[in-house]
Amino acid sequence: MMFDRFRRNRNNVVNGTDQGKAQVKGSNDILKELDQFEKLSFSSHGEILGNRVATLHGDFTDELGGTSAFRGNVSLTAQNVKAIIDNPPVLDEYQNAVDVCPTAAIKNLLGPGNKDPTSEGIFDTGKCILCGRCQDIAPNLFKIKNYPALAVKRKSELLSSLGGEPQLDGGKEVYSTLGEDLKCKIGKILGRSLAIREVDAGSCNGCEVEITALNNPIYDIERFGVHFVASPRHADVLLVTGPASRNMEIALRMTHEATPDPKIVIAVGACACSGGIFGDTYATTGGIDNVVPVDVYIPGCPPRPAALLYGLLLAVDRLKPNIRKEK
Amino acid sequence: MEVSHEVEALKQADISSAATTSLVAKFQTGLLAALAKKTGGIELLNENEIHVELQSSDSIPEACSYLKQEFQARLAMMICSDERQLGRGFVLRYVFEAKAEARNVFIFVTSELVESRNEKEEKDGNNSDVKHIISFPSIVLQIPSAVLYEREVNDMFGLLPAGNPDTRPLVLHEQWPAEAFPLRKEFDLGTKVKRTLQREYKFTNIEGDGICEIPVGPVHAGIIEPGHFRFSIQGENILNLETRLYYTHKGIEKLAENMKLDQVLLLSERISGDESVANSLAYCQALERIGRLQVPERAVLIRTLCAEMERVYNHIGTLAGMSTDVGFAYGAARLNILKERMMSLNEQVTGSRLLFGINRIGGVGTDLSKDTARLLYISLKTILDDFNLVISHLRTKSSVIDRLRYTGIISRQVAIDLGLVGVAARCAGIDVDTRLDNPYSAYPMLKVDSHHDSPQHSTQYSVEMQKRVGDALSRFDVRVEEVNDSIRIIRDLVTRLLDDGSKSLAAPRPSSFEPYSHALGYAESHRGQTLHWVMVGSDGNSLYRYKVRTASFVNWPAIEQAVLNDIVPDFPLVNKSLDLSYSGNDL
Ligand code: SF4
Ligand code: SF4
Repeated sequence: MMFDRFRRNRNNVVNGTDQGKAQVKGSNDILKELDQFEKLSFSSHGEILGNRVATLHGDFTDELGGTSAFRGNVSLTAQNVKAIIDNPPVLDEYQNAVDVCPTAAIKNLLGPGNKDPTSEGIFDTGKCILCGRCQDIAPNLFKIKNYPALAVKRKSELLSSLGGEPQLDGGKEVYSTLGEDLKCKIGKILGRSLAIREVDAGSCNGCEVEITALNNPIYDIERFGVHFVASPRHADVLLVTGPASRNMEIALRMTHEATPDPKIVIAVGACACSGGIFGDTYATTGGIDNVVPVDVYIPGCPPRPAALLYGLLLAVDRLKPNIRKEK
Repeated sequence: MEVSHEVEALKQADISSAATTSLVAKFQTGLLAALAKKTGGIELLNENEIHVELQSSDSIPEACSYLKQEFQARLAMMICSDERQLGRGFVLRYVFEAKAEARNVFIFVTSELVESRNEKEEKDGNNSDVKHIISFPSIVLQIPSAVLYEREVNDMFGLLPAGNPDTRPLVLHEQWPAEAFPLRKEFDLGTKVKRTLQREYKFTNIEGDGICEIPVGPVHAGIIEPGHFRFSIQGENILNLETRLYYTHKGIEKLAENMKLDQVLLLSERISGDESVANSLAYCQALERIGRLQVPERAVLIRTLCAEMERVYNHIGTLAGMSTDVGFAYGAARLNILKERMMSLNEQVTGSRLLFGINRIGGVGTDLSKDTARLLYISLKTILDDFNLVISHLRTKSSVIDRLRYTGIISRQVAIDLGLVGVAARCAGIDVDTRLDNPYSAYPMLKVDSHHDSPQHSTQYSVEMQKRVGDALSRFDVRVEEVNDSIRIIRDLVTRLLDDGSKSLAAPRPSSFEPYSHALGYAESHRGQTLHWVMVGSDGNSLYRYKVRTASFVNWPAIEQAVLNDIVPDFPLVNKSLDLSYSGNDL
């Protein structure tokens, strides 16, 4: 990967204290084994090379999808809705998952008026919080993939009929390639960098952690011409998180008004797309689009940085017609 | 084998029942003497909760100040619950910790508020115009840190704290109508109350020559959560700061009453996204105490491991943020790389970069494979080496250290009065750490830090504590130390996990818990002590009441004190050094 310019053996580097060892009695063999491993493996050390670039190499994944452990998009194995409804054991399993899902992301097929086998869109990626409970209870029907659900431009596209196979081959897309695409597009459409204002409308701060990560040296989104600005007045894009709590509703509206046209609003995370786990209650509004018009929805809880970048890619597309209209 | 012996021994030592019993005895005689016939009874619940029932709410201030004076007790939280459906009134529970007298004991002072006559008349249909007001005596004069709890109760339950000088709206902002009380049982979760423009929020007004106000927020300049800060300044000096929070109030406590237990678990992870393990752990432990579930050893180890990973990545993130706020981008970049590496490890261990989904009621959801364990062990070593290297560089930069030293001072007295927890308290010379005070999970068998393992170290530590000034630099130092400790703990846990051949990850989950039983769950997040009080609902599979008090709730008021000797540009640094969660406060 891009940072892997200089691999260094850890033995070349000043060692920190090794306090781990003193602790455990009776597991000497294991410690020995671990030490063996440690010696064999290259360190993922960053080093400080005077005034030169810091180098590192690590267990980062540059792919859009996560590591194999990542709990990402949910996919349904059934062929179609009919296959579920006509098969009582499968339907039972399916309904168990409906019961266990904390956000009603899986449509209740037995609810009034829901038994229409032609009705599509039984799984709402915008509501899913990636908890994996459906797979736990109905392992034959639901599979958690290790790539994220991707951003969409219309809310209806969040409803996937069966499983939400990604539009892109999520596992193989590479963050830096996507970023280069983004950079090209921004250059063509704006002729300058893209300015983003982040607004937290009641998030749990999980989404903020991931948005902040976009700015770290690993994802380093500024290299693609994307810049986080301090005021909505300087922004092209509002990146909004949270279920739009009622206490933030007015502030969100005002921020939206303060943003000059043409502007794009991106709803980030399950909360912003649909209310997520916080739903639609006395204290929330059940999604950003109940307060301001939304152009792009990025599902996930939280969406990983690469998924955020993909959402920006879609958003920039949306800026194009707007600008033409202006002219 | 050896390890599991240790576990057994320590599990027993965990709650030193002798100390508890003697405290109950002492407490009982003491309180009985002090309050004569005012107590209704004293009861020991869940092994370390002493519940004292007061006969009348009038004796609340007396009982609370007695606890404070005689036992040096600290108000840990205040719980209100609407138990009118259970044939009681509103019930107030004041939770105290009296560490000086007995470690690992929580004292609950419980009092029932009786409905006023007017409300009964209203129920009978006598629509009198008289506004019913149920009130309870405020304890802010005795215990200043109660002020926010009382304002919260006033907003959410409509119970007036009589004698509290500040009854401005807290949780529900001024646009909410005065008669909406979300946590009362008759209030429906989905109610969309109409906005009013009748109420107004008054900030403290500071007037004088050359004094002006700077309003900041709720939408801030950085990528952070929303909150409003009102500075009164003279020149650049901050004369007063008033914080206004609750912009992210999402109704978590009410929502939990409408969910199943397993769903509340997912909700608890999202109280504050970066604190997911600590909060879900506290929640699970509360239920495990109610159901007396024996969490398998492997699960205990994995939980603790994740809790420590959470501490590491957040502390590193905070240190990076402090480096940014003093304008030292290089240090921030280097530390952010390490944070990213930690988050990538988080994902490999739990499937989520924020460690979501690890805890289950009675155990954990994911095992740690041998390969991942080895990877963790090795990566953490290199991360730690690199971390200490970067920190040593930061320490040699006077532009960093000078900004941190004597900035954002929290004095010991302030820390005591506000009952601070976590890093903020430890930096002001108060030795609190839930992992040591109320050992839970695997902590009884771990060496949490190197200060409490021998009497000599304890003495040394208390001397060192006296020297701490509670400035941003001490918070920097303590975080660095804790990262080192946590990584040592994780590596220790990894070897134990590799040693441990057992497979079981969760205790069998009872189909339901005893209705209306209740317990306190606690954990030490990277911000400090987080307390979750749960009362099981009528069907045994839901919650009647879920009260959450995160460390942020306790520590937020400290910032108003911390900035008083500083200039405005120091505020972001002070804020970051305290690392408070808005969402965890607002719920
Ligand atoms: S993973 Fe998504 S769809 Fe499955 S139970 Fe969780 S929230 Fe529901
Ligand atoms: S989508 Fe998930 S991570 Fe993001 S704010 Fe909502 S609960 Fe938190």
